[in-house]
Amino acid sequence: MLSLTRVGLTSSRSQFAKSALLTGSRSFQTSNSQRFDIPFLKQIPQPPGYIVGNVNDAYVTPPSSRAHGSLHWNVERLISIGLVPLTIVPFVTGSFAPVLDATFSTLILAHSWIGFQACIIDYIPKRVYGAAHDYAIYLLSFGTLIAGYGIYALESKDVGLTGLLGKIFASKPEKK
Amino acid sequence: MNFLRSSSLRSTSSILRRGLATTTEKPVLEKTFKIYRWNPDQPNEKPKLQEYKVDLNNCGPMVLDALIKIKNEQDATLTFRRSCREGICGSCAMNIGGRNTLACLCRIDTNTSKETKIYPLPHMFVVKDLVPDLTHFYKQYKSIQPYLQRDSVPEDGKENLQSIADRKKLDGLYECILCACCSTSCPSYWWNQQEYLGPAVLMQAYRWLVDSRDQAGKARGEMLENAMSVYRCHTILNCTKTCPKGLNPGKAIAEIKKQLAFQ
Repeated sequence: MLSLTRVGLTSSRSQFAKSALLTGSRSFQTSNSQRFDIPFLKQIPQPPGYIVGNVNDAYVTPPSSRAHGSLHWNVERLISIGLVPLTIVPFVTGSFAPVLDATFSTLILAHSWIGFQACIIDYIPKRVYGAAHDYAIYLLSFGTLIAGYGIYALESKDVGLTGLLGKIFASKPEKK
Repeated sequence: MNFLRSSSLRSTSSILRRGLATTTEKPVLEKTFKIYRWNPDQPNEKPKLQEYKVDLNNCGPMVLDALIKIKNEQDATLTFRRSCREGICGSCAMNIGGRNTLACLCRIDTNTSKETKIYPLPHMFVVKDLVPDLTHFYKQYKSIQPYLQRDSVPEDGKENLQSIADRKKLDGLYECILCACCSTSCPSYWWNQQEYLGPAVLMQAYRWLVDSRDQAGKARGEMLENAMSVYRCHTILNCTKTCPKGLNPGKAIAEIKKQLAFQ
């Protein structure tokens, strides 16, 4: 028990796991976790108190990468801002221009791709779920590709997204 | 001699009593507090809410007063951190009535028909009762290197001078007492506190980014350039809503994002 009162001092995941098994004691409350957990996915055990290394060491941030940092954020914001006029223009002008419509649908796809990616990073973090995080990202990319093909088909062979929406609104329920 | 002394004592004490006893007896105003209890010495026992009743007419106005009264008079095992009792040390941060705040700055709700529930800061590891483990929080604070870094020494060899306008930029940032109320109110910090730095630490990161005297801005910015450190902030703004010092960590994070975006 004593050795575990300040777990961070001795650090290292495996060390803690072993000593916890041996003594059957713990230093932090481990009752019902209020965390958001996905029940059927296996989790990687986390270090006690989330402390990696010594308690006096500074936390080490992930490696820097502008593509995952500010550039990603800029693209995210540009897409969101770009979507605003693209959403309004067809309503105001009644235009069904294919180029406008194709840009609009592609940006919606990119917007939802980034949005779902943020959800996956938030709720299925690699730190906790390991490979499942990658699979979730693969699944998202796969879905995005299929949706991308769907947009291509809609734009090249059909009436486009705006046209489709127009059709849905215009169609009256059949009377029998 | 003895008699004289005791009689003079008696007379002064009676004068004191008469001079000080200006209030009439007030009726008992009994307020119920439900306080989170967990003892690491009995790790197999589940955490529970324990009920305490305090006479508000016989107690200071703040929740910390009630806690100290309970600890002094009812249950000495109740554990919580406190120090300055005036909102400058940040020790007594806890969740009172569903809101993260400092117990010393939070008035007791005088509506005695309602009970007040007190929990430790949410989603933190609990050391005992109302004491959360803030080790990781401080490790994160350390990671942003919260101290002045310069390549050059000041020209007069004495002071790093700063204009009044530059100094003004630090207002609303330097007042943070690192009580962790904001960080522990942030859902993003709940899910990813291992990697996301959280509002309190990010506000301090910004405090050093905007300081005109600091010359390590590039390295400071680079450290934040990843998916986790800053960009887990989804502008939920619980941080700004809960801050017991009335600061705005949400705005500081937005400023960091702006600075990184336009660099």
